[in-house]
Amino acid sequence: MKLFETKKSNEYTVIIGCGRLGANLANTLSDSGRNVLIMDQDPDSFRRLSSGYGGLSVVGDGTDLDTLREARIDDATVVVAVTNNDNTNIMVAQIARDIFRVERVIARLYDPERECVYREFNIDTICPAVLSAKEIDKFLGGFNKPEQRREEMRA
Amino acid sequence: MKKRVLLIGGRNKAKSLAMSLLGQGYKVTAVNETHEDCMKLAEIKGLTVIHGDGTKPFILDEAGAAECDISIALTSKDEDNLVASELCKKKFHVGKTVSLVSDPQKTEFFYKMGIDSVVCAISAITSIIEQQAFIDEMTNIISIGTGRVQIVEVHIPNESPVAGKKLWEITLSKDVIVGCILRGDSTLIPRGDTRILAGDILVVISSNGQEIAAVKELTGR
Repeated sequence: MKLFETKKSNEYTVIIGCGRLGANLANTLSDSGRNVLIMDQDPDSFRRLSSGYGGLSVVGDGTDLDTLREARIDDATVVVAVTNNDNTNIMVAQIARDIFRVERVIARLYDPERECVYREFNIDTICPAVLSAKEIDKFLGGFNKPEQRREEMRA
Repeated sequence: MKKRVLLIGGRNKAKSLAMSLLGQGYKVTAVNETHEDCMKLAEIKGLTVIHGDGTKPFILDEAGAAECDISIALTSKDEDNLVASELCKKKFHVGKTVSLVSDPQKTEFFYKMGIDSVVCAISAITSIIEQQAFIDEMTNIISIGTGRVQIVEVHIPNESPVAGKKLWEITLSKDVIVGCILRGDSTLIPRGDTRILAGDILVVISSNGQEIAAVKELTGR
């Protein structure tokens, strides 16, 4: 019974898609001592994982209900969908949230237009294009506003 | 007002659906990702064809999704069908969304996501093959309630174990009832004491999965 409780209290992250982002995230989480499972259809993709990676890796289709069940997705506290296909990520996120009742579901979407739609659907989305644009704007902002800065100094 | 139908993806399915719907007087628009398929579809007279990814909001917008009454997602990938249908429903407020699904396990999930009608080709084909291959006695089978309920026509042969018996003497699963008996030119609504005769045609109503067992019991094969 005690064993069961400790198991449940641990965080368990399932990552779908072992690309650059997925593998990087898996390595980071594994290094910080958390339980991680990463799934990808392509067995070769796991070469991106570091040699010190201590989590599980599963070859399989992340949109297949049986495969997800085998990966104990219903025990997961977090599911991250980061395949290279937006629609796959959306479907994985919705399956995780509505069938397996996972508390926290995050999906990466390349297309910003789709991102606004799915934000309304209650899925946490990350859009690299929007994030990069913001960052670049921040850099540019530093150079573009010397006058403003001068005014601030005068005041 | 002509009803407007939007077809998303699909090659041969889109083509034959478009022709049939245009023939029935609908206004049809097809969206397809491959240029080659678009050229094929454009040969159909009266069909509007848009070349683009039907899971992108701006393509659906261009195809006039907002004015459509029905959308039908026909791509070969479940995730594309899901996203296209969801966008049609939630962003463009299409009245009825229909989606094809290839994985039978996902049918329920698609309904849960708010798609109005989900068609699973694999389950449909499997059940048709089952009927064709194993039951010669069934001449007609109608599926209603998305396949949960079946209405079956059963011919009672001479060697049937139930021929000559009263309805209450035979044991059928409780998911099955005999709704009507056709005998010669007359139609009987059966009660428990109605006798089944060889040569009768029974109209049997059954909930999903029970019809084959019921037919076996009635015909003795």
